[in-house]
Amino acid sequence: MDIFVQQLVNSLSVASVTILIGIGITLIFGLAGIVNFAHGEFLMVGGMATWFMVGAGMNFFVALVLAGLLVGALGFAAERCLFRFTLNRPMNGFIMSIGLSVILQHAVIRVFNEFQKSITDPVGLVWTIGGVDIIAMRAIVVAVTAVIVAITYFGISRSRYGMALRASVSDRDTAELMGIPVRRYVTGVFIYGSLLAGIGGALMISLFPITPFTGSVIIIRGFAVSLIGGLGNVGGAVVGGLVLGLVDGLSAGYGYPEWTDAYSLVVMILILVLRPQGLLGGTLGPKAS
Amino acid sequence: MPMTDNSAGKTGAATEGVRARDRLALLTADNAAVPLPAGVQAITAILLAVLLIALPWLGLGYRFLSIAITTLYTAIGLYGLGLQFGQAGIMSVGHAALMGVGAYASAILSVQLGLGFWTSLPFAMALSAIVGGVIGLPTLRVGGQHYIIITFCFCALFVIVLTNGGTFTGSATGLDVGSVTPLPGINFDKLSNNYYLVLAALFLALAATYLIGNSRYGRTLRAIRENEQLARSVGINVDLHKLGVLMVSGLFAGLAGVLQLYYLRHISPTLFGAFPSLYLALMVMLGGARYLYGPLIGAVVVNFLPEVLNLDPVDSRIAYGVCLLLVILLLPGGVGAGIKNVYCAVRGGFEKQGGGTNGRA
Repeated sequence: MDIFVQQLVNSLSVASVTILIGIGITLIFGLAGIVNFAHGEFLMVGGMATWFMVGAGMNFFVALVLAGLLVGALGFAAERCLFRFTLNRPMNGFIMSIGLSVILQHAVIRVFNEFQKSITDPVGLVWTIGGVDIIAMRAIVVAVTAVIVAITYFGISRSRYGMALRASVSDRDTAELMGIPVRRYVTGVFIYGSLLAGIGGALMISLFPITPFTGSVIIIRGFAVSLIGGLGNVGGAVVGGLVLGLVDGLSAGYGYPEWTDAYSLVVMILILVLRPQGLLGGTLGPKAS
Repeated sequence: MPMTDNSAGKTGAATEGVRARDRLALLTADNAAVPLPAGVQAITAILLAVLLIALPWLGLGYRFLSIAITTLYTAIGLYGLGLQFGQAGIMSVGHAALMGVGAYASAILSVQLGLGFWTSLPFAMALSAIVGGVIGLPTLRVGGQHYIIITFCFCALFVIVLTNGGTFTGSATGLDVGSVTPLPGINFDKLSNNYYLVLAALFLALAATYLIGNSRYGRTLRAIRENEQLARSVGINVDLHKLGVLMVSGLFAGLAGVLQLYYLRHISPTLFGAFPSLYLALMVMLGGARYLYGPLIGAVVVNFLPEVLNLDPVDSRIAYGVCLLLVILLLPGGVGAGIKNVYCAVRGGFEKQGGGTNGRA
């Protein structure tokens, strides 16, 4: 039983990173209408930047903020230079994002190398609660994720900016007539999603080592999470992330670890075929051209 | 200046980014609809055929011929992808996995039942076609992007299944096969004979693409691509046509996969994973899916460019990525469209482009 609780706690921290990437994708895909396959690479770049800054002697939490800002800036550049030209043809944007992901992956290999990078646990505490060892850093990861989820959820569902954003998704032309700067919202959502990827990367490297190829694995999980929950649905992404993270974590602990990656793929295919709007409902994403 | 952009029909689309590119769009407009004169077509075909047949005698060396074989069997797979994307507008980023289905089917038949190249080929092609159709079923239900994601998942799943398949699929190390069963008087162990085998298959693929493109079936596919609802309302069975083209594409992929298997004589899961699939997508976009020679041009450029520029693998992958971005931003119809535009400009046929369909899918 203790081992089960242990696995559960560990899975929760893994799920946190999955949730962060899932929220980023669900916002960018569902609300901004951009299919960004390089999102996993954004996370990887955030992790690598954190590794570099921590290696240079910086405090982890400062590095976390800086990594988030750096990847946010990367997202801004990508949106302005690439994706804004393909807003009307999401399919072309998708293929372009694949190109971007190849470039980022190999640029990181070129700058550093292809080996895995890790940092020492920045907190280094272990709490023992009722016979269960909880690594403090894992608890912090879960807490940071919870705060971000809350901010995002209320930002989208309650604030006037969130309302304007949802209005521009449901009817872009009318929203523009009402004076909502739709373009700026698209850019803003893209930057916010990228920022979350950067933070996710920093949190991830505090838990496990990452390689330049981590992004292409995590992106599948991110898409699975956002599609399970329904595009544009932050709460759905949280549920999806928890389900997938727990299944992943528990299967790694108990079942067939070599099939771990397959679960998210199978779930995603089934969801896409049977219920394209996701389990909890969401936008259908940008209209296919 | 007329807007050449008539895709998707979104009225709110005229934003500063698009407006700035109007001029560019006119230059790069797709005029696949404007046929070249029959004479030009015939001369191009004959010149190309002579060049490809003469290639082994030009004395370019073993390495050059090896890359040429790789290019040709890749091009065969690309012609399938070109059909489904160029004619029917259905893009896939898991096409290497479909080639892998053919290659593994043939390899497993060889290992388990001792079937050779010629006897396993029909089974491998049929299986690829069936798998292509089955993966295609969701595209009847969901939009194009969801289908792309499904193909990507299929590709990743395929690699995981192969890696965990034990001795049946050879796990991560893969499977080995013998050489192609010799025909009377032709021994395919000789590299140039293997080249001619692949070349013959390429000619078949080219001929099939040409015939499909110019048939009633091809026109119907293009009608579906341009306006699915309209096609449906005039009584075209859209679902059947879509599945049909995906299965034909699977046939091509199976053929390419078996040729790849018997050229390499050894296959492993990584050959059919995400990266090879993305390269196939890149090649078909780069060459221009709507042009008869587009996929071939794409395959030649992507396979020979790192060799010509002498790039190491990391740099060449960065170069691929940059190429992909540039092609989509500047030349959405691919290199094929670029060449044809130059030809049209030279021939003074430039004014024909105004009302043409746009090259972006």
